[in-house]
Amino acid sequence: MIVVDNLRKSFPISYGIIPNIKYRGRIPRREILHGISFTVKRGELFGLLGPNGAGKTTLLKLLCTLTTPDAGTITVDGIDATKHPIAVKRRIGLCSSEERSFYFRLTARENLEFFGSLAGLSGDYLRKRIEHVAEVVDLTDTLETKFSGFSSGMRQRLTMARAMLSDAPILYLDEPTRAVDPVHAEQIRRLIREELVDRQGKTVILATNLLDEAWALCDRLAIMRRGTIAALGPPKELDASYARLLRYQITVDKSDEALLQRVRAVPGVTTVATVDVPGGVNVEVEIEPTNERSVTELMRAVSDNGVTVRSFTFDEPRPMEVFTDITQAGDGDE
Amino acid sequence: MSSIAPALPAPSQNSFRATLAKAGAIYKRDRRIATSYDMAFIIQWLQIVVQVLGFFYMSKLVPPHGRFPGFPYWLINLGFSRFQMTALQSFQTAIRGDQMLGTLECVLVTPTSLATVVMSPGLWGFTLTAVQVLLYIVLGMILGVDFSHTNFLTLFVFVVLTIACMSPLGVMAASTIMTFKQNAPTQFVAGSAAQLLGGVLFPVALLPVPLQVVSWLLPITHSLNGVRAAIMKGASLADPTVGADAIWLVCATAVLMPLSLFIFSRAVNRARRDGTLGHY
Repeated sequence: MIVVDNLRKSFPISYGIIPNIKYRGRIPRREILHGISFTVKRGELFGLLGPNGAGKTTLLKLLCTLTTPDAGTITVDGIDATKHPIAVKRRIGLCSSEERSFYFRLTARENLEFFGSLAGLSGDYLRKRIEHVAEVVDLTDTLETKFSGFSSGMRQRLTMARAMLSDAPILYLDEPTRAVDPVHAEQIRRLIREELVDRQGKTVILATNLLDEAWALCDRLAIMRRGTIAALGPPKELDASYARLLRYQITVDKSDEALLQRVRAVPGVTTVATVDVPGGVNVEVEIEPTNERSVTELMRAVSDNGVTVRSFTFDEPRPMEVFTDITQAGDGDE
Repeated sequence: MSSIAPALPAPSQNSFRATLAKAGAIYKRDRRIATSYDMAFIIQWLQIVVQVLGFFYMSKLVPPHGRFPGFPYWLINLGFSRFQMTALQSFQTAIRGDQMLGTLECVLVTPTSLATVVMSPGLWGFTLTAVQVLLYIVLGMILGVDFSHTNFLTLFVFVVLTIACMSPLGVMAASTIMTFKQNAPTQFVAGSAAQLLGGVLFPVALLPVPLQVVSWLLPITHSLNGVRAAIMKGASLADPTVGADAIWLVCATAVLMPLSLFIFSRAVNRARRDGTLGHY
């Protein structure tokens, strides 16, 4: 289990010798994370989302012990990450989004051998693990190719292979499908959800900018905004809490102005539109989610008119809308 | 893609063996990278041949006399002073290389101690240097230098002490890189100091007394004194002059080694605090 408690982090506003002289060794710092707290349960796939500059990468680096917090604590399976970084590093695998994170002059196998050895693996076990993870990310045929000859997508898949190499119980994945072609990206998504989390019970923190990916894969999402967690919960709960409008599509055999008038009169309905479809009409309705009886009223309004209802479907809220609502909330006040 | 097979049982390792294995992995990485640049790798050997031949013919102009024994003096100094340059270069080159390649964060996210990360790059560097020094010796033998008096125990001790005493200076240079993301001018400063004040090109006794005092403060002076005594005179460690040089190096190592690791650890912690580990 990962427990992050009241985490604060700041960075100097500038670096180098001259700023150090200018500020007499006390360069002002800008706070990036403002007291973040959350818990990730064992075996959970936890998504980390947010616009650029929200603090996702900083948070991941803190979790990996690559940077240290100003205040607050991170504990991994009960171990304080600041006090015992080596013990925490034994439990984690990192898939970074940084393309330049391998030795260009070495082959994929030599790179994996090197990082596997530093992770404490050796001998036959290391060789078998390399074969395993290369097969999993479909790089078996290119293990003897120098990293410099890899495409961006292959580099990202090799990064994923490195993260899995030590079979660590916790994985931090920073945009694991970035630059990966659609087929392999989908395979990586299934690998994360079905194999690593559901079957092997690993704990995964997935930072991504792909909203559909996060909504489809993650058990819970933390949406960051300006160094804070603006929303936290399962995707369905976020949809319910933050979706501004619920969308329904009702296909009827015929439509007239009287029907549309009754639909418009349903409490909470904001928009009604019709589209002719083969054999009937599609009525698209948007309802504010505040009135619990709106849907019942809507169904009654449609069916009372003697029309035949062929289908009544609910459109899932679009992740983009929920994300935008959360990350831009209050911007007008600032 | 296929599914992952059940996790294989990881072999258990005690921490000393694990550290050795990690140091070995870093050695293998450095060897593979160095030899992948095949042209540069070959040229550095040719440079040694050219350098030795150059000094051999120059020595014809400077006949041996009381303070200067001629070509063997240059040959031994040039060869063995390479250990100093390797110590000063290899650690900072490795850290700088990892910064530039973007691999430093990925190395530091593994459960590997800072001491292992910073010290292990010396393994390949010193191994290569040892073989290069052998080339100096072989070329010297071909050119008529007499190595028959060599006291190998004394020579071995001084090589070890040279590496142990110089490496902390290289680690401190690596700390500079970690903090300021720029190469420290150690190669220029130490190279110049060694040639001018350390007795590489001419005996320290030729310097004015104040500079001889500065020379005494440099590890390279004591290192080369011991190496020359071991090779040219067959001196043992019981020899008072040689013993004094060895004790000087031991004391310097005892002070510099923990100090350099402390400074490097501070530099890494500062980079962690400032979030600049991945900067270059």
